[in-house]
Amino acid sequence: MSEVVQKRSGTQMSEVVQEKDNYFKSLRFKKKVGQGIILTILILGSLLILSPIWWMFATSLKDMKEIMTYPPTFIPKEWHWENYGIALEKGSFFRYTWNTLFITSFVVLGNVLANSFIAYGFAKIQFKGRNFLFAVVLATMMIPGFVTLIPQYVLYAKLGWLNTYIPLILPAFFGSAFFIFLLRQFFLTIPNELIEAAKIDGANHLYIWWKIIIPLAKPAIATVAIFSFNGAWNDFLGPLLFLNDESMYTLQLGLQVFKGQNDTQWNFLMAGSIMVLLPVILLFFFFQRYFIEGMNLTAGSKG
Amino acid sequence: MIQMEPKILGKSDIKRNSKHSKTMVSLQRKEGLQGYLFIAPWIIGFLFFLAGPLLFSLYGSFTNYNITSSMDFIGLDNFKKMFTNDPIIWLSLRNTLYFVVVSVPLTTAGAVLLAVLLNQGVRGMRVFRTIFYLPAVLSGVGVYLLWMQLLSPSTGLVNTLLGFVGIEGPAWLTDPSWTKNALIFMKMWSVGGGMLLYLASLQGVSPSLYEAAEIDGASTFRKFFHITLPMITPVIFFDLVTSTIGAFQIFQEAYVMSESGDGGPANSLVFYNLHMWNKAFEVFDMGYAMAMSWVLFIIILVLTVFNLKLAPRWVHYEGEDQK
Amino acid sequence: MTLLILAMSFSLILTGCSSKESGANESGSKSKNGEKVVIDFWTFWGSETRRPIIEKIIDDFNKSQDKIEVKHTYLPWGDVWTKNLASIAAGNPADLIINDINAVGHRAKNNQNTNLAKYLKKDPAVKDRFFPELYNASLYKGDPYALPFNTDTRLLFWNKKMFKEAGLDPNTPPKTWAELEEMGKKLDVKKGNKYERIGYLPNQGIGADVWMINADGKGYWDFDANKAVINDETNVKALTWMKNYYDYYGDKTINNFKAEFGEQTADPFVAGKLAMTTDNANFFTKIRDYGEGMEFGVAPLPEMEPGTGNESWGGGFVAEIPKGAKHPDEAWEFLKYLTDVQAQEYWAVKNFDIVANKEAAEKASTSTEFTEDGKKVYSLANENMKQTLLTPTPIEAPDYINLIQPEIESVLLGKKSPKEGLDDAQKAVEELVKNNK
Repeated sequence: MSEVVQKRSGTQMSEVVQEKDNYFKSLRFKKKVGQGIILTILILGSLLILSPIWWMFATSLKDMKEIMTYPPTFIPKEWHWENYGIALEKGSFFRYTWNTLFITSFVVLGNVLANSFIAYGFAKIQFKGRNFLFAVVLATMMIPGFVTLIPQYVLYAKLGWLNTYIPLILPAFFGSAFFIFLLRQFFLTIPNELIEAAKIDGANHLYIWWKIIIPLAKPAIATVAIFSFNGAWNDFLGPLLFLNDESMYTLQLGLQVFKGQNDTQWNFLMAGSIMVLLPVILLFFFFQRYFIEGMNLTAGSKG
Repeated sequence: MIQMEPKILGKSDIKRNSKHSKTMVSLQRKEGLQGYLFIAPWIIGFLFFLAGPLLFSLYGSFTNYNITSSMDFIGLDNFKKMFTNDPIIWLSLRNTLYFVVVSVPLTTAGAVLLAVLLNQGVRGMRVFRTIFYLPAVLSGVGVYLLWMQLLSPSTGLVNTLLGFVGIEGPAWLTDPSWTKNALIFMKMWSVGGGMLLYLASLQGVSPSLYEAAEIDGASTFRKFFHITLPMITPVIFFDLVTSTIGAFQIFQEAYVMSESGDGGPANSLVFYNLHMWNKAFEVFDMGYAMAMSWVLFIIILVLTVFNLKLAPRWVHYEGEDQK
Repeated sequence: MTLLILAMSFSLILTGCSSKESGANESGSKSKNGEKVVIDFWTFWGSETRRPIIEKIIDDFNKSQDKIEVKHTYLPWGDVWTKNLASIAAGNPADLIINDINAVGHRAKNNQNTNLAKYLKKDPAVKDRFFPELYNASLYKGDPYALPFNTDTRLLFWNKKMFKEAGLDPNTPPKTWAELEEMGKKLDVKKGNKYERIGYLPNQGIGADVWMINADGKGYWDFDANKAVINDETNVKALTWMKNYYDYYGDKTINNFKAEFGEQTADPFVAGKLAMTTDNANFFTKIRDYGEGMEFGVAPLPEMEPGTGNESWGGGFVAEIPKGAKHPDEAWEFLKYLTDVQAQEYWAVKNFDIVANKEAAEKASTSTEFTEDGKKVYSLANENMKQTLLTPTPIEAPDYINLIQPEIESVLLGKKSPKEGLDDAQKAVEELVKNNK
C-alpha cells in the first residue's frame, strides 16, 4: 500500500488491521486450542491403551517367584532382562521367525496381487452375473470357519499337502472375501472418467489395473498388506493343523510351549509375545506414510 | 445393470445396423470376458478350496456325522433337535446377539472417531497411530490370559484405574451380568485395527472440500457430519458388514477366558460358536454342529442382505452410482 | 461348465472320501528287514519342566532296541486333540498320543482309538501294573482302549503356623466336614469388614462334584446303575454345605476371591490368604517353589460324617493309539515301555506326578530326590489312591456337565435352592440321555 493511502486512512487502517489481527488471532488461537485438546485426548488415550502393554512388559521382566506373589506388583522388583534371551532360546525363536517370515511374505504378496486383481473386476468391469457372484463372495464370509475345518484338512491330506507350507500360502493367491470386499469398496470411489479416458487411449483392463488403479489406491492396498501381514504372522490354527514337523512351526505355535496345563511360565510367555509383536508394529510405524499418502484424486479430477 | 442391446427391428434395419451392433455386442462380450478373467482366481480358489468342504458340510448337517466313524443320513433330525431339544442353543443365540448389538456400533464409532482424531496433523502423529494400533496386532492366547489378570476384581489394572476415578469395578469375569461387557471392553481396546481402515479412506476426502466449507464458516462438527462422514460411508458400510459377521462368530475369547472353556459363569459366555464347538469337539456330534453353522449362516445372510438393501440410502460413492 | 462340475466334484470326493473310513490301515507296514520303524508320538509336554523328562524316556527306549524309533512332536495343550481328531478323520493320525483319561470310553464309542485287547492277550500281566480305578477308566465294553499314564488325587493341605496362631493343634487336621468348617472359621482374620485371611473355601482347587463323591462315592452319575443321580439326598446335602459358606462369607467375597486367584498366577494358600486348601498332590510343587519354607501338613480329605469315608477324586492322562495309526504294533511296544516301572518312576520323581504304575508310585514315595516334605506328600498321595475315584464321561450324556454346572452356579449365587438346582439339573440330564438314545 502506498504511503499516502496509509497516512490518509491512518486510524481507519489500524482499526482494520487490528480487526484483521484479532480475527486471525482468534482463528489461529482456536486452532491451537483445538490441537491442544486433541493432543490431551490422545495422550490420555495412549496411556490407557498402553497400560495393558506395560503389564505385559512388566510381567516379562519378573521371575516366577515375583509373579506368584500377591498382591501383584506393578513395577518389577528386579528386572530380569535375561528372560528375553531364555524365551528366544526355549521357544526356538530364530527358526520360527524365519519360518513365519517366509510364509507371511508370500501371503502378503499373494493377497495384495490377487485381491486387487479380483476386486477390480468386481468394481469396474461389467459382466453378466457380476452382482450374483459378488453376493456369493460375501456369503463365503458368513460361514463359520470350523465346520469346514475338518473337510479342508482331509482335502489337504489327500493332496499330500500336509506338513508343507502350501495350505498356508497357496489360498492367498486366490483371493479372500474380506479383502475383495474391502478393495472393491475403495475402487468404487475412483471415478470412472479416469478409466474411460485410459480406454480411449487404448489401454486394456490389465494395464488400467496395474498402472492406474493400484497407484491410486495405495492407502487401501497398504491396508490390505498390513491386515494380511498381521493375519499371517499371528495365524495359529493353520500352522497347528497343517504342520507336523516342529522344525516347520511358526512363532504363534512356538509361543505355546510356555503355556502349561497349570504351570504356565508367564514371564517367558509375555516376553515371547512381545517379541512376536515387535516386527509387525515396527513395520506399521515405518510404513505409515503409505496409508497417509493421499489418493491423489485431487491432482487429476477434483481440483 | 443396463444391457445395451440394440433393438431388433426389421431385416433391413438389421442389415444396416448389423456392423454397428455386432461391434457393440462383441465389445460387450470382450468386456464380459475380461471381467471373468479378472475374477477367475477367486472362482478357481472357491471351487477348489471351498466348494468341496462347503458341500460336504451342507450334506453333513443332514447326517449324524461324528468325524470318525458314522455318517448316516438322518434327514431334518438335527434341525428338529435344534429347535425343540436343545436348551442351551437359544441362550447362546441371545448371548451372541447381545454381543453383536452392543459391540459393533461401539467399535465402529470408536474407530471412525479415532481415525479422525489421528488425522488432524497434530505433532507426533506417527507415534500415536502406532500406539493405538498396537492392541490390534497383539494376538493369540497370551493376550486373553493377560486380560484375565487385568480384569481381576481387586488387583487387576482395570479396576485399579477405575478406582482412581472413584468407581468400584465389578467382578468382570465371575459376575454373570458383566462377563460379556468384559469382552466388549476388550474389543474396544483393540479398536485401533478398524481405525486403520478409516485412516486410509480419510485420505481420499479432498481437502478442497474442507477449505470450501471453512470459507463458508462451517464449524468442526458440521465439517465432520456433512463432509467427512458422507465421504467415508463406503468404508463404514464395509466395516459394519464385516464387523457384524465377525461379531456373530465370537468364540476364542469365551473359550479361553471362561473357566474350563465352558462359557461360564452361569453360561453367560456361551456364545453360539462356543456351543457349536462343544457339540463338535466334545460330544463329537459334528453333524449337529454343521447344522448349527448353516442356521447361523442363514441368520447372517438375512442381516447382510438387509444391510445391502439399506445401503443406497446412506452410502455415497463418489465414483459412480452403485449398489 | 463341465470343467466347473469336474473341479467341484474333485474336491468333494477328496473331502468326503476318507472322512468316514479311517480304520483302513490297521495292518500297517511291517518294518522291512533291518529298517527301523519310526512312530509318531504326540504330547502337549513342551514346557521346560516336562519336555526334557519325556524326551529322556523316549531316548532310553530308542537306545534300548533298534527296531523302533519314537519321534516326539509337541502340540499345544488343548489344541492337540483337535488336531488328533482331524488327523484321524484324514487317516494319518499319530501312532501314540497322550489324551484325557475320563473320556476314553467316549472316544472308543466314536471310533477314535484302538482296541488293545489283542495286545493284552499276549501280555496279560500288563494290566496288573496299574491302580485298578485307573485301568477301569480305560475300558470300553470290557476292552482296554488306552493305558493310564499319570493321575492325581485331591488332598487337604494346611498351614501349620496359622494353626498355631489360632490356637489349634498344628498336627491335627479336621477330620470331618463339620470340623473343617469350624476350624476354618477360627482361622479367619478379619479387618473391619474385609477378610485378610480366610480359613477355608470349598471351591478352591476343588468343586461341588468332588464333595459329592466324598460324601457317598457317587457324584453326578451312578456308574453301576448307569444313570444320573444328581439330585440324590447326599448330593443335596453336599451342595447345601457348600452353599452355607457362600451365605456366611457372602458370595461377593467368595467370587472375588476366586477371581483374584483364578488365573494360575498367585495361589491364595501360598500367598497366605487361605489357611487350608484342598488340591492336587502336585500342588506341593507350588508350596515348595513359592511358599518360602512354609510349614504345612497334608492329609486325606475330611469325611462328611465319621465313617462315610475319605473318598477323593482324580483325573489323569492315558496314552492311546489313535484309530488308523500306521504302526500300532510298534506303538504298543513303546506304550508298554511308557507304562513300565522304569519310565514311570522317572516321570514320577522328576515331575512329582502320581503315576499309574503302582510299583513305580511306591518306589517314588521313598525317592532320595524328594525332600522330606516331598516324600511326605507323595507317599500320602500314593496311599490315597486306594480311595480315589475317577469320573469317566458317561457315554449316554457326554456333555452333561454343561447342563449341571450352570445350575450349581445358580445355586451358589443364591438364585435357587440346592434342591431346586439339582432337581433341574437332573431333569435336564435325563432329557439329554433320552434324546441321545
